[in-house]
Amino acid sequence: MSVVLPVQYQPPLPASMIRRDQPGAEAIELDVLVVGAGPAGLACAIELHRQSPDLTIGVLEKAGALGEHTLSGAVINPVAIRALFPDLKDEDFPFRQRVDHEGVYYLTKDGSTKVPTPPTMQNRGYYAASLCEVVRWLGEQAETMGINLFPGFPAESLFVDGERVIGVRTVPSGLDRAGEPTDVFQEPTDLVAKVVVLAEGSRGALGQAWRSWRGVGSANPQIFALGVKEVWQVTQPLDRIIHTLGWPLPAGAFGGSWCYPMGPDQVSIGLVVGLDYHDATLDVHESLQRMKLHPLFRPILEGGQLLEWGAKTIPEGGFYSLPDRLSGDGLVMVGDTAGFVDVPSLKGVHYAMESGMLAAKAIASALANAGTGDAAALSAYDQAVQASRITSDLRRTRNIRLAFKDGFAVGAIKAGLMTLTGGAFPGDRIAMPRDADVPRASQPPAEPFVPDNVLTFSKVDAVFKSGNATRDSIPSHLIVGEQVPGDVADFYAHLCPAGVYERQGDHLVVNAPNCIDCKATDVLGPRWTPREGGSGPTYRLM
Amino acid sequence: MKIAVCLRRVPDTTTKIVIGADGVSINEAGVKFVPNPYDEYALEAAIALKDAAGSGETIVVALGEDAVQETLRTALAMGIDRAIHLQGKPSADGLENARLLAAHLASLNCDAVLFGKLAVDDYGQQTGAMVAELMGLPCATAVAKLEVSGGRATTEREVEGGVEQAGCALPAVFTCDKGLNNPRLPSLKGIMAAKKKPLDIVPVSAGSGQVAIVSLALPAERAAGRIVGEGAAAVPALLQLLTSEAKVL
Amino acid sequence: MTAILAILEQRNGSLRKGAAELLAAARQVADQGGATVDALVCGHGPVTGLDGLGAAGADRVLVATHPDFANYCPDGVVATVAAIAANYRAVFVAATSTGKDLAPRVAAHLGATCAMDVTSVVMAGAMLRVVRPVYAGRALQTVDLAGTPVVAVRPGSYAGVAAAKAGAMDHVTVPAFTRRLEVTGIRAPEKAALDVTEARVVISGGRGLGDAKNFALLEELAAAFGGEATVGASRAVVDAGWIEHGAQVGQTGKTVAPDLYVAVGISGAVQHLAGMRTAKVIVAINRDKDAPIFKVADFGIVGDLFEIVPALTAAIAKVKAN
Repeated sequence: MSVVLPVQYQPPLPASMIRRDQPGAEAIELDVLVVGAGPAGLACAIELHRQSPDLTIGVLEKAGALGEHTLSGAVINPVAIRALFPDLKDEDFPFRQRVDHEGVYYLTKDGSTKVPTPPTMQNRGYYAASLCEVVRWLGEQAETMGINLFPGFPAESLFVDGERVIGVRTVPSGLDRAGEPTDVFQEPTDLVAKVVVLAEGSRGALGQAWRSWRGVGSANPQIFALGVKEVWQVTQPLDRIIHTLGWPLPAGAFGGSWCYPMGPDQVSIGLVVGLDYHDATLDVHESLQRMKLHPLFRPILEGGQLLEWGAKTIPEGGFYSLPDRLSGDGLVMVGDTAGFVDVPSLKGVHYAMESGMLAAKAIASALANAGTGDAAALSAYDQAVQASRITSDLRRTRNIRLAFKDGFAVGAIKAGLMTLTGGAFPGDRIAMPRDADVPRASQPPAEPFVPDNVLTFSKVDAVFKSGNATRDSIPSHLIVGEQVPGDVADFYAHLCPAGVYERQGDHLVVNAPNCIDCKATDVLGPRWTPREGGSGPTYRLM
Repeated sequence: MKIAVCLRRVPDTTTKIVIGADGVSINEAGVKFVPNPYDEYALEAAIALKDAAGSGETIVVALGEDAVQETLRTALAMGIDRAIHLQGKPSADGLENARLLAAHLASLNCDAVLFGKLAVDDYGQQTGAMVAELMGLPCATAVAKLEVSGGRATTEREVEGGVEQAGCALPAVFTCDKGLNNPRLPSLKGIMAAKKKPLDIVPVSAGSGQVAIVSLALPAERAAGRIVGEGAAAVPALLQLLTSEAKVL
Repeated sequence: MTAILAILEQRNGSLRKGAAELLAAARQVADQGGATVDALVCGHGPVTGLDGLGAAGADRVLVATHPDFANYCPDGVVATVAAIAANYRAVFVAATSTGKDLAPRVAAHLGATCAMDVTSVVMAGAMLRVVRPVYAGRALQTVDLAGTPVVAVRPGSYAGVAAAKAGAMDHVTVPAFTRRLEVTGIRAPEKAALDVTEARVVISGGRGLGDAKNFALLEELAAAFGGEATVGASRAVVDAGWIEHGAQVGQTGKTVAPDLYVAVGISGAVQHLAGMRTAKVIVAINRDKDAPIFKVADFGIVGDLFEIVPALTAAIAKVKAN
């Protein structure tokens, strides 16, 4: 048995993400530029337009169309979308259905025990939804307001001037594998703005670059989980939302599964695992495939059809992993980029939207008062977040996820105490290492999983079901460490749900076009950088 | 040079087809709509023709319900100068739609009217040629090469076993095939500019025509495959199957 | 109902193949309604093969002759059809590149509706009922057509019939027309390498080929198909450097959907299957009878590809030569 320490093989992000040169003379001038058209970015743009209708607002999105890179469970607490659209009723929102029944189960390999629903996990009155659909709907609202949406244009780097962020450069498109322009080459576009809103989602590249440049740390490092999700056409409606703990995850991994009804003939099913797991051969995609054959899930899916597959990381660190600052000169961070996720309640969407709205208010008043987005003016956003339910909710559950770092059994007891005491137990912050600092034990290869192509599927079939639209001949966007040994290649191969990494002999083979932007290896291994717009998955139902 | 392009909004070609409750159309829930891919060749050709001429105007015209305006904006973002939305539900009879288009195109007095060679939803493959016939204009369909000089166009299109070459005087109608060009993607600047370009709305009403859609159905599932035989001796049997049963030769 | 007009194509004085199929479709519909079938051939001189059209189902063969008909002349054909259209209940053409060009012109001229790529046509009361693929064949539409519809019948949809018909010859006058489009000729296609996503036929090779140089076998097979085939490959051999990257089938979510896909020495890793399973017809040639590729293939041959492929190449070349 060997031990893999992921951080040893992890290269840094390129320094070129912070640009000190001038934006081109042709640069597009905006008042506010939002990077990322997810729930946080769109809520920010919409609220900003409400606050100051005269502002020129642009939203960059790396997916070819809105929502195509968006993935969540999702059961949504509607509190934020109601606040964003106070004139609309819940029926007007693009939700699939209201949650009326729920069950939490502890799974063993062959059985399941229903356990009392923890108070943090009660979802009655919330809504099961496809976040893709919610984002598309938000985009339509934004579009009718005159907000400029730019799907298919990923941001590649930040223009800075002194300590201030002044704009963004997009990724060029139409390059061949060697990086040479083809006949459909399109040059990068420069955009300058008084304020740049980073709403890149989980493990955003520019957010990392900005924080490292400005030295913005956090009490604990951010930690992540990887979720793999499928949407199925099913033969009969599911009567409740399901959450599970236990099998198929080993004791040394934190995570669980869900299965949600999405109307009369669809369900979503998924498995989320903290990336601080200890077994180098743990494979979330494969674990989900095995899980679908469990007696709790099999009857739900049997006779049905896999419609769509996807994967995404989730920032799980909670309160102690929030950045020391959410804003700086010319920049704010919202949503998953900032880490506004509450793991015990499995919620993030409404925090993302709320943070976007709070940022919008701070930006609007900064621009109205001073005409610029100075750090001092934008710090009103930090204060607003601190005074909001985002901070109070995350503080209440601040140590619960962290308690599970040494395994599930101990964690469950500690978490129960924390919930009972409203977060007062154990009082102090539980310190966490970065995920990449957690050593992994390489096990001898387990029995290979053979998909049946009916209920279970290989990674490549899964990527096919993500609608991956990447040109095969674009330059690789993944930065891989040098001299990756065989057991580390194996670790990457298991880690990546999309079959990007393979071990051949003692070599690592990288199939970059398979990548569906989940960012799991950006956390633990090879780094992800933005690539040609419209690459990656084309989710419709996630 | 003044060029019009007729544009259709169609489901993305990777859309999983689900038959709608009415049994005659697809269920559009969750479907991504895009400009008809063949129309993108026409849009690119129009922009290139105007650029080559050094002056003129490009106009994109679409018949459809309000959602088609999004598709028109995409054309404007590519670089088309202005858009006309013929606002109304298209007929199931292509001739009725061609009549509406021809009537409006006649008032534009274009040097060229471009279409895609087909729309990837109904595969009707007729509107362009019908419009030409109704307008009394020359028409070359499915062109993979289009050159204009001195008021004349020369074209090439793929036919069985070769490439058919033709020529005609302008004004004329052309329907565009793959291979004509590489359509540009809308640029960021183009998307911004598109918001300010004119998009005129003209309410229209298409006749019901002489077509009634009876049903829309999914094709039969793929039958299980079979081993034809072993070794080179099985080749004649395979060829027989490909010729008479599968009909792909 | 009186008669159906079937417009047949000729090139350089020879009837194009597909005439018998089109007459079979027209014959079946005519027989349903007690009608007759007239075949119309537009040429500039003698056309060979007209004497067989009676046996193929034509009651009458109408010949229209005009100097402009040396090449395809849509304006002239439309004028000719329009002059006699009053006699007909429907006009049939083959949905070839020429037929697809002609059908909507005729329809617009007649004020008629046009149905393209029809795979089945029958009488349904006073209407013609046709079935045609839509959404790239992912759905089938059934449509009733009133008036004097122009129906373009997809090649391969009908088998020829044997009819004891007179096939009496008659000449029709070509009215004066304005030749707006002048077809100047047909040139040979350039021998450009087709992209795997565009070719009608894809011949793909995998590890079973054993060596890069053996791709030559597949190139020969592709060449036998004329300009419509190209060579593809599994990822394994692309990664091995046997063939350039553009030939790869089935890496990401992209697919190839040719009419015919021939997998040679490809075992059928799922990633490959994901990329090609939407092909209309899949042929697999592999030594291992248990290879997964046989599960998705319509037709399989088990055995030594070095024997089978050259035999197939020769057979295809022979078919194409005819």
